[in-house]
Amino acid sequence: MRQPLVILEGVRTGYFSETVLEGVDLEIYPEDFIGVIGPNGGGKTTMIKVILGLQPLFSGRVIFPAGRPVTGYLPQASQIDKRFPITVKELVSSGLKTRRYWFPHLEKKQRFRLKEMLAEAGLSRLASRPIGELSGGQLQKALLCRALIDKPQLLILDEPNTHVDKQFEQELYRWLHDLNKDMAILLVSHDIGTISPMVKTIACVNRKLHYHPSNQLSEEVLKVYNCPVDIIAHGPIPHRVLKAHDHE
Amino acid sequence: MSDLLAIFEYQFFRHALAAAVLTSILAAMVGTYIVSRKIVFIGGGITHASFGGIGLAYYMGLNPFTGAAAFAVLTALGIEWISGKGKVREDSAIAILWSLGMAMGIIFVFMTPGYTPNLMSFLFGNILSVGKADLVMLLAFCLLLILFFAVFFRPVLYTAFDPEFAKTKGIPVSVFRYVMSVIMALAIVLSIRTVGIILVLSMFTVPQITAMLFTRNFARIMPLAALWGVTGSVIGLMASYILDIPTGAAIIFFLTFQFLFIRILMLLRDSFKRKKKMV
Repeated sequence: MRQPLVILEGVRTGYFSETVLEGVDLEIYPEDFIGVIGPNGGGKTTMIKVILGLQPLFSGRVIFPAGRPVTGYLPQASQIDKRFPITVKELVSSGLKTRRYWFPHLEKKQRFRLKEMLAEAGLSRLASRPIGELSGGQLQKALLCRALIDKPQLLILDEPNTHVDKQFEQELYRWLHDLNKDMAILLVSHDIGTISPMVKTIACVNRKLHYHPSNQLSEEVLKVYNCPVDIIAHGPIPHRVLKAHDHE
Repeated sequence: MSDLLAIFEYQFFRHALAAAVLTSILAAMVGTYIVSRKIVFIGGGITHASFGGIGLAYYMGLNPFTGAAAFAVLTALGIEWISGKGKVREDSAIAILWSLGMAMGIIFVFMTPGYTPNLMSFLFGNILSVGKADLVMLLAFCLLLILFFAVFFRPVLYTAFDPEFAKTKGIPVSVFRYVMSVIMALAIVLSIRTVGIILVLSMFTVPQITAMLFTRNFARIMPLAALWGVTGSVIGLMASYILDIPTGAAIIFFLTFQFLFIRILMLLRDSFKRKKKMV
């Protein structure tokens, strides 16, 4: 029987006395590619933090049936101080989980993995550069490398497509598509138009979580879910997103 | 020139020189952390709050630097705790502790009967009165700090850069944050002797931003900031002797002058390069 990596059970959480999320149930399986959508302030990032163990719960449980999975986390671009004096090499190696975190030198195996990771992302030449000298896309790649260097079982990405050009976005999605063969992916985006074709399932977070077991969403479904999404509400909708689907 | 060399025969001057060098090294290491994390304002809060400890120690007849250290450490831990909990806005909390410390210091010094300690030397430093015991303490703390950074460089860097991510990788982030707070507080209090409460913050920021003109690599900023700190403070110390001006102020002036001088040289070099390209 398939075993989920993570189970959220009746999670209620928030900041101070204000509830941001309630009654959240979710199971994440090893082959999942879940797109998390929802309005700003709906609790998308908070839900990610619950899974990462960064957000204390008011009630409910987070269960890891096979132990806490190795996670890779790409935070929102706004969380990163681009002027901080850290090099690409240092940034990426900070993703290596190690019990021996003292002493500045990496183990041989870790150095090898770092080299391999940088080469895979085409960042080898920039390894010794401070992150302040990178373009938006390059920095996002470096941050993704930091998330991937530990070979995670669960990759969590918070708005990876902000401040990057379209070309990088396409490259990113191809990369994620390949990565999904080896790991579960949870991708948060406000831009459902772009993520919908590539994710397998959609979770809509707006204080509560509504799980949609396919990547096809119609306006009706979003209305039922009470999950207003910018592109649906205000803009023209790429028809590939809004194909009519049969279980309606 | 022989006049200038003669000054080295005085023990107080040799002590002052050693204090300037050691304080620069100390401030270079801790200041790199402060500047990188953009927490200079926290440094200001710790510095000024420590004055409360100096006043209290005077009132109770204790060593003023013990009082300063106690107040500085408590303030630093308090600010770190507040910023972790987030119920009071951090900058407001710092401002409160900043002025409360100063107010308490003034009240206690005022209440101390009889002898009124020389306030000026705490506010503006008195490097010429540094004794052997002070130097030993500075040296010991410097060595301890070098060892600390050598061993824990990576977790300190990671927790300073992105604490949430560091947490997901199992680094005990709050432990490192609190330890760094204590280190900051002690480094600041030890440096007060050299340049005083009002000027000490520059020792923790100006050499760092000078170093950052050359590199944006945390590990390289530290030694380079130490170098600029040492040159600026030694020039300042000599100048204060020659021009007969207050030492602490002279050190800060030359640290800043050095920064501006290098910055202007760099700008000139860049414009020269651009012109050459155009030709």
